[in-house]
Amino acid sequence: MIYFGYLVTYGLLLTAVLGLLASWVDRKVTARVQYRVGPPVLQPFIDIVKLLGKETVIPAGASRALFLAAPVVGLASVILVATLLWVVSVHPGESFVGDLIVVLYLLTVPSMSIILGGFASGNPLASLGASREMKLVLAYELPFVLAAMVPVILSGLSIRLEDILSAQAQNGAVASSLSGFLALVVAVLCMQAKLGLVPFDIPEAETEIVSGPLIEFSGPGLAIYRLMKNMLLFALPFFLTILFLGGLRFDGVHLVYGVLKLVGLVALITVIRNTNPRVRIDQALRFFWGPVAALAVIAVGLALMGW
Amino acid sequence: MTSQGLTREGVLKDLEERFRDCIVEVFDKSPKRVFIEVKPEPLVRMANYLFKDLGARFNIASGLDTRSHIEILYHFTIEDLNLLISLRVKLDREHPAIDSLAPSFEAANWIEREMHELLGIDFNGHPDLRRLLLPDQWPEGVFPLRQDYEEWDPEAIRDRGV
Amino acid sequence: MDFKLRALLKSPWVFHLSTGSCNNCDIEILDCLTPRFDIERFGMVLAGSIKHADVLLVTGSCNRQSVERLKRLYEQMPKPCLVVAIGECSLSRGMFIHSYNCPKPLDKIIPVDVYIPGCPPKPEAIIAGVVKLIEKVGGTT
Repeated sequence: MIYFGYLVTYGLLLTAVLGLLASWVDRKVTARVQYRVGPPVLQPFIDIVKLLGKETVIPAGASRALFLAAPVVGLASVILVATLLWVVSVHPGESFVGDLIVVLYLLTVPSMSIILGGFASGNPLASLGASREMKLVLAYELPFVLAAMVPVILSGLSIRLEDILSAQAQNGAVASSLSGFLALVVAVLCMQAKLGLVPFDIPEAETEIVSGPLIEFSGPGLAIYRLMKNMLLFALPFFLTILFLGGLRFDGVHLVYGVLKLVGLVALITVIRNTNPRVRIDQALRFFWGPVAALAVIAVGLALMGW
Repeated sequence: MTSQGLTREGVLKDLEERFRDCIVEVFDKSPKRVFIEVKPEPLVRMANYLFKDLGARFNIASGLDTRSHIEILYHFTIEDLNLLISLRVKLDREHPAIDSLAPSFEAANWIEREMHELLGIDFNGHPDLRRLLLPDQWPEGVFPLRQDYEEWDPEAIRDRGV
Repeated sequence: MDFKLRALLKSPWVFHLSTGSCNNCDIEILDCLTPRFDIERFGMVLAGSIKHADVLLVTGSCNRQSVERLKRLYEQMPKPCLVVAIGECSLSRGMFIHSYNCPKPLDKIIPVDVYIPGCPPKPEAIIAGVVKLIEKVGGTT
């Protein structure tokens, strides 16, 4: 029953606050790189509050139930993922066997909710964006799962996240070995695609298809989608930190190291975002199923050999 | 005969000799600009000669509504000589009609549609004389660029409100 | 309602519409987003879709074909919303007041909150107009 309390406090509130702060860091660093002054600290919070106060306009050709339910489904899955990750970090004994697989499955649901929302909108541009999102999910899921296999192998073939954490506490972070480092590189690229950021923000390409699947959402629906994306901006680096960089430990100086790891991953995402153009969907497919998947297979092979 | 070995005087003398009975007047305005007034009937022949044989480029056509008549100018450029030749055609105000240049070269298609709907000039032989710029609710037979155009819209507001 | 408007003023998302302009006012609006005048520090972001927008920036004298689209866009914008008219052509059609294709000025078609004169207005003038809008709607002087 500890889960319910954790769900509300850690899963929803703390992750929401930290996710919105992470998105502010992203916007501020982007502005600074472009020689601008960026938005103030509270800007993402004000965006969500303002969007909650607008009216919802449902297009005439949309299917109402799916249109209204799609954002909520996505947000619910991100809250569940965040709860699981916090429980593993704060109370390591409370988790269950196979929670790694549950997290991997739940992390596909936000993309599914964007696809659902896009197809339920009744707008051809939204359908185009949703079909591109489907192809992108096809592309990056394979290397992501392969890269998540490497910490499993290196921690003695266990699929409990706390076993991965304790193996890293004893032997050093997974990323310090060669296979772990390669798997971290693969995982960062797949994370960039999962978050929908340049160079892989194909479904939401602003200049081409005008916000893609989210084109018809307004008011509270859009607020929930933005909150979902910002919470994912915190939850995914947190997941990668647990898998590859030793997780977040709350004793003394290790807390500072943990925070630095998280901020470093967000900064890495921002730097990649600002220095790259957008790729086409067929180039992205070829990229993820070619070099990236090959790198992931090499990492798995090296992990099996013990390096 | 290509335009490579030609000079400006050579081109003008050649045009005057070839179309002696079609040209009404030649106005040599400046080294870059020549206005040639022609009769309406042989216009297609002359334009074809300029475009296909001399290799001139068709820039645009302009329509005017002067007090006595409606006239059209067709502007052709010979780039090697830096020369802009304008063929002027004067039409009757009551029923302005002329043969269309659109079957000869595609560039004249849209400009003739625009002149048809804004000035009311009929182009015989144009393949597709639809509306180009004006909205669909615009009434037929009202030509905005004529001098005697009057406001037909009762809901238009034409004062500044101050 | 007051709280909603106050949150809207702190993060207005802008949709830019040109109803037949010469594009000088559009260039000046784009100028406001560049690093020199940076309006993102006030929370203003260019919205791609009209359903995401709070403020409609209108330039250009409304000609007959774009008036139908303008009305449709205004209806699709989720309320509460604000309209800003930028440049002489959208204030009163400027020099096109007797043109055959511009029957009505903008404020007889949709309700306008702030007028920014100029042909085209400088980015400083646009920012000053936006500040006046925030003060007028926020209720302070």
